[in-house]
Amino acid sequence: MRFDVIVIGAGHAGVEAAYAAARLGCSVGLCTMSRDTVAHMPCNPAVGGTAKGHLVREIDALGGLMGRAIDATGIQFKLLNRSRGPAVWSPRAQADKRLYAAWVRAALDREPNVTWHVGKAGRILVEHERVTGLAMEEGEAYRCGALVVTTGTFLNGLMHVGPEQRPAGRHGEPPSRELAESIKSCGFRAGRLKTGTPPRLHKDSIDFERAVAAGLFTEECGDASPIPFSFSTTRALCNQVRCWLLHTNDRVRDLVCANIGRSPLYNGRIQGIGPRYCPSLEDKIMRFPDRERHQIYLEPEGLDVDEIYVNGFSMSLPRDAQEQIVRALPGLEHASMMRPGYAVEYDFVQPTELRSSLETRRVDGLFFAGQINGTSGYEEAAAQGIVAGVNAARKTRGEPAMTLGRDQAYIGILVDDLVTRGCLEPYRMFTSRAEHRLLLRIDNADLRLTPVGRRMGLVDDARWERFEARRGRHARNMHALDATQVRSDRGQRLPVRTLLRQPDVRLERLLERGCVELDLEPATRALDVASLENDVKYAGYVKQEAAHAERLTRDERRRIPDGFPFARVPGLSREIVQRLSEVQPETLGQASRIPGMTPAAVAVLGVFLGRSLSP
Amino acid sequence: MFSTDDSIVAIATPPGRGGIGVVRVSGSSALEIARRLLECRTPLEPRRATYTRARGLASSATAPCGDVLDEVVATYFPAPHSYTGEHVVEISAHGSPVVLEAIVQRAITAGARLARPGEFTLRAFLNGKRDLVQAEAVGDLIAAATPLQARVAFDQLEGTLTARIAAIDAQLFDLIARLEASLDFSDEGYHFVEPAEAARAAACVAGRVSELLCDGRRGRMIREGATVVVAGRTNVGKSSLFNVLAGNERAIVTDVAGTTRDLVTERIDFDGLALTIVDTAGWRETRDVVEREGVERAVRAQEVADLLLLVLDRSEPLTRDDERLLASTNDRARIVVVNKSDCAAATGFSWPNDDGVLVSARTGAGIAALRQAIQRALTGSEALRDTAAISNTRHIALLEEARTRLTSAQRAAETGHTPEEFVLADLQAARECFDEVVGARTPDDLLEHIFSTFCIGK
Repeated sequence: MRFDVIVIGAGHAGVEAAYAAARLGCSVGLCTMSRDTVAHMPCNPAVGGTAKGHLVREIDALGGLMGRAIDATGIQFKLLNRSRGPAVWSPRAQADKRLYAAWVRAALDREPNVTWHVGKAGRILVEHERVTGLAMEEGEAYRCGALVVTTGTFLNGLMHVGPEQRPAGRHGEPPSRELAESIKSCGFRAGRLKTGTPPRLHKDSIDFERAVAAGLFTEECGDASPIPFSFSTTRALCNQVRCWLLHTNDRVRDLVCANIGRSPLYNGRIQGIGPRYCPSLEDKIMRFPDRERHQIYLEPEGLDVDEIYVNGFSMSLPRDAQEQIVRALPGLEHASMMRPGYAVEYDFVQPTELRSSLETRRVDGLFFAGQINGTSGYEEAAAQGIVAGVNAARKTRGEPAMTLGRDQAYIGILVDDLVTRGCLEPYRMFTSRAEHRLLLRIDNADLRLTPVGRRMGLVDDARWERFEARRGRHARNMHALDATQVRSDRGQRLPVRTLLRQPDVRLERLLERGCVELDLEPATRALDVASLENDVKYAGYVKQEAAHAERLTRDERRRIPDGFPFARVPGLSREIVQRLSEVQPETLGQASRIPGMTPAAVAVLGVFLGRSLSP
Repeated sequence: MFSTDDSIVAIATPPGRGGIGVVRVSGSSALEIARRLLECRTPLEPRRATYTRARGLASSATAPCGDVLDEVVATYFPAPHSYTGEHVVEISAHGSPVVLEAIVQRAITAGARLARPGEFTLRAFLNGKRDLVQAEAVGDLIAAATPLQARVAFDQLEGTLTARIAAIDAQLFDLIARLEASLDFSDEGYHFVEPAEAARAAACVAGRVSELLCDGRRGRMIREGATVVVAGRTNVGKSSLFNVLAGNERAIVTDVAGTTRDLVTERIDFDGLALTIVDTAGWRETRDVVEREGVERAVRAQEVADLLLLVLDRSEPLTRDDERLLASTNDRARIVVVNKSDCAAATGFSWPNDDGVLVSARTGAGIAALRQAIQRALTGSEALRDTAAISNTRHIALLEEARTRLTSAQRAAETGHTPEEFVLADLQAARECFDEVVGARTPDDLLEHIFSTFCIGK
């Protein structure tokens, strides 16, 4: 049997890849070990957060699944950084993880081009450095035009709970070994990373009301009128659960210190590198001994789910120590642990092996997306999934790859960082990674990317019409701000736009007072008002940023041909030639971002681009 | 672009005769080339000056060693610890152009190639031995006309400027990291930095840039020198003053009004400053075509001057020409020089004592005070301090841009209405200016800084 595109893994990267390729008209074989863990959330039952929320908006603007899935199954919504400027507003939501998985599975079931295959992927079939198919561990083989590998933490996964080690990809699931071998035999440079998850508690064993009354927990509700992730969500979202904030105390610290020798992180049993932005409890206590307390959130994993997720409390101590430490937390004296936290080590492939299309340079038609590329996070995985899915489909048709610029999307930054810099620790998106942050806002994600999604074939007619309507409204409203005059405090008549430039004048107030009439849709009102206000208030900054972006993209337009002989450029040091040959940058701009590159080397490279080099 | 895989040779000292002259050979085969042209029996030891003799090409079988060219001291600097980062041999010979040329020729027959201008420095730059600031400074050092210019260029070569910018940058970087942490980790329950504190920090960094720039104005004067124009109506003694300042009799001095009809310029070392002083035709209404042309040139010279010396003659009452000149140069950098202190002041002459310097170009009285006044006006301080200065227009422009952005960030933070990411947009722009000065695009070590400073992450 033959598919245009085969996708290994149905996690957040795999489902976006399969969905995108299917929407682009390819026949897709989606290969997963179990249909119960499609779009599974093995860690935090939440989507979004700073910069991650941006990624979800962008995936949605391109026509992906994640934004719609979380809007449909989220149970508490919050816009982070609301007190700050619009460029760093980021939506975050608690998910009902069962409903989320079911929603995504159903969405893929509705795609006639997607064929599920439940089984374990074994060997990647390659002929003449070109992918030709996939052999399952069970024996059968499929042929394909392109293959997308999204294996998460399953490649040689090894779970640690205290001294116990168990080969596993996730809690209760076996690792992929044959596939790991197969990938290694292609010659990819691999490394080992580590991630972890906290213990889960039984919700009935915690008396939330009493802890709140005693001042031990602080209740966290969502926003009064939540902002959706998806541009196509029109219904009002509502909050159905609460979360609770509490803090660690001295007893927690003392217990961690007393048991530190039993932590595989601290006794040398774990070799993989963990993420610094998501430190384990052991790391928090040992590396920052001066900090008196740490924040912990208790988050329900769903509406009808007993498990409570202990956010900020990931650890790999033995089970008995975890139980003691959990019960040392104020208000959790009687908590019962449903399962312990654990650490998991897994193989990843240095993403410098990839082109910006996420296709490997070693094997034609082979794409990698998600944690296999060294990233962490559902959103980062999904973002790569949609890029790999679109590009796998385009590959089978001989079309050029879709690449997004650093000034165009966080997704573009994510991919560019991966393929030019590689990974030393699990990669997470931050807004500070964006040099053009003011341009990359959640309110303009559709203006930036929906036309791209439309060109690729991911955006259907209904969605495109809605987009054009929103774009038209924005232009008309902008005009109205110019055309409408109001009387200022000093009695002058001014266009609203001029008045709005003053820092303390807010558009919402002007609308309330009836100073200006705008055409606003109730569903998208909050963001539309924000977009208008931003465009007026910060026009100067945004213009400067855009000019800066334009300056920087000059180097991005200078392409480095495939197989450029870096070794023959005179004046480049051996180390730099080696880095360049490993990363194989596609543009001069990419070359300049490779760690260890000197400005002199970039200048020299620039001189020799487009010249013939003597052998 | 030059090829960089061969060995190059050149005379490293200035052309002409000198006490000693140095020939420098750089490249992978520098040692081999040196071995062929030197007479020493044992190999050159790294970084050790060896007294030996340089020999010419063997002319025949009867003179297998060639003639002795000179007694020399040779020093071998193995890569990468050399000026260029390659193997370098420096041969110090007596400073005769003939001898030095002969050594270079011998090195070429031994396999070296004659270096092109700037090629040693280019190699140093390509091998990472010099950053951009330093590479530019080498050129300045060589082109230095006065000892102070050389000193400033040398400071930059040593990386003093780089170090000063790096220190300022470190402070800015810490502020940026705290603000970025506030944005990316807003739900951590931390206060990374308050707006008022951010404004203070931005102001402090801007202040340090200002200090550097203040030195910079001085630095540019040192590097590029300054133009001082002597102006005044006819026959007030401009040319006499010019001659006193220039220290020689360049301008013709007569009592006939309108003697100086063209510009007379002289380049002098003025207490360390490379000064171009310009004597101009006296300003008066005239029908003489040649003289009128002279007057027009004088006006143009005044327009480009860094400093005007406006000369008045106190032995005569102020004329309408004087008044007109005083009025038209009121907003310019100028020193009013009241000449002829050796004569009694005319009854019709009135000029405030505290504005201007009273001198006598004829007797030299008051000239020392005038020199101090010129120095002060050009450099902002009487004596040139011995510190790192930026002397390159490119650097000054970049630092000025940085200061503008820092001030804008400070104002934005102070109002409290502008969200952090806009403050950061300005701060990041300032930081890029610094990076551009030292030519280094720093890797994204921001998160590194945040994670090592704060315990972050849920």
